[in-house]
Amino acid sequence: MKHREPTRQERTLINRALDRWGVYAFFRDKLMLVAAVDHSTKVCLLPANLKPFFANLEPYFAGLVIGELKKQFTPSIAGADLFARVADSRRYYITVSENAEKLVLYGRDVMGDSIVEASDDLDENELVIILNSKRDAIGVGRTRFAGKSLFQKERITVTTLLDAGSYLREEGG
Amino acid sequence: MKTALFPGSAESQSLAAEYGYDDWLVNRFLRYVPDTHNFLATMERQPARYLRVNELKISKSDLRARLESKGFELESTVLPEVFLVKRSPMSIGATTEYMLGQYYLQDLSSCLAVDALDVGPDQTILDIAAAPGGKTTFIAQRMKNTGSVIALEPNERRARSMTFNLARCGVSNTAVFRLDGRDAERLGTKFDRVLLDAPCSCEGVIPKDATRKTSHSPGDVEYCSNRQEKLVESAARLVKPGGVLVYATCSFAPEENEMVVESLLHSGRISVEPIPYGSEGLTRFDDREFNAQLKNSRRLYPHLHNTTGFFIAKLRIN
Repeated sequence: MKHREPTRQERTLINRALDRWGVYAFFRDKLMLVAAVDHSTKVCLLPANLKPFFANLEPYFAGLVIGELKKQFTPSIAGADLFARVADSRRYYITVSENAEKLVLYGRDVMGDSIVEASDDLDENELVIILNSKRDAIGVGRTRFAGKSLFQKERITVTTLLDAGSYLREEGG
Repeated sequence: MKTALFPGSAESQSLAAEYGYDDWLVNRFLRYVPDTHNFLATMERQPARYLRVNELKISKSDLRARLESKGFELESTVLPEVFLVKRSPMSIGATTEYMLGQYYLQDLSSCLAVDALDVGPDQTILDIAAAPGGKTTFIAQRMKNTGSVIALEPNERRARSMTFNLARCGVSNTAVFRLDGRDAERLGTKFDRVLLDAPCSCEGVIPKDATRKTSHSPGDVEYCSNRQEKLVESAARLVKPGGVLVYATCSFAPEENEMVVESLLHSGRISVEPIPYGSEGLTRFDDREFNAQLKNSRRLYPHLHNTTGFFIAKLRIN
């Protein structure tokens, strides 16, 4: 895993996303490097004093991957978890019921009836962090509808992109 | 190091037959495991289950309240982060809290090895043979994700599995290198703390894998012991003056434990410091007497300490 400083363009995408999730202030003085892994660009949070160890040898893995860069920044589950714990505002989040929590953790999409709360003014096709009733980040999703339509019954209104159960599924696989 | 073998006795043959072990192994247990009859009976039972609260994500009281509301019964242990699971209404590895990395399933013995390491914020730590990462994540937790942890795991599959555990536990201060501990000097630096939980013959985890009662051979002990000597020598060279090396195994064999540590003590610049848990290390075995400091090392036995079998030595490098 070869780490490098993000380019100016990548930095802009990352900062925009951090601001969007309400965590820009938390990350402002933290070191973030990017690394190409499996044809994607991962954004890694790591302490500055870890970096000198990469001088002699390339690490297999380093720091905490908080998200991935494509056209935009998508938080990883670890990133979503951190964002949910340190965010200074609750934008771009939905909260699901206890029953829906289990389904999300198996990678299932979210039905409108399962959403108990959503950030104001969510648009269609918006990335959201999926929280359970205890405010833990259990997944990352994309809205299929906007505003109040997210709550409509018997329809999938948020597509689950990532879920915390994937750690165990992928580790086993 | 040659594995010591002893002539069979009526007692060893009878115990070996009763519990399904090879005679040579029981014969050795009779010489280094106290209350061997009770020990062998305890080894037939499933080991106690422990969980370690991941304080990088949740407080001890919050996690305890969450799990108890689901019907779990937890009991405190000698380590504040570790609970004994007395009752679980569902698989303990299938809760939301587990998936979210709010706790890690880890035997108390393994956590005690990290406790002996005595880590502090902003230190540099080396964890040799680190996968699957239970101790690494506990080290990161004790350091509050500060400083730096270098974890070595040469096997790619195990290194990959470790990355899932690090991510699940929210660890950000760790880098994993695919490197054998014997080649760790290539990192080009020394560390405040080094943990070597050495690959071993795994006598201590027979309750989890009963095939080892008969698949285990004297040659395994000898092979492991020779490898451990090389690993521990290499590990000791990587500790800063005044730093700590913790050597651990999940074996009871003196050739893999006290005798490996003793091989380091000749220089006089290494001392064995006491640890406040477990039974004292052996100071004699077979016809050999060991350095008296080895009583400061610790042995953990299932029938005495309710853990899997473990050996821990805390070494101060002067």
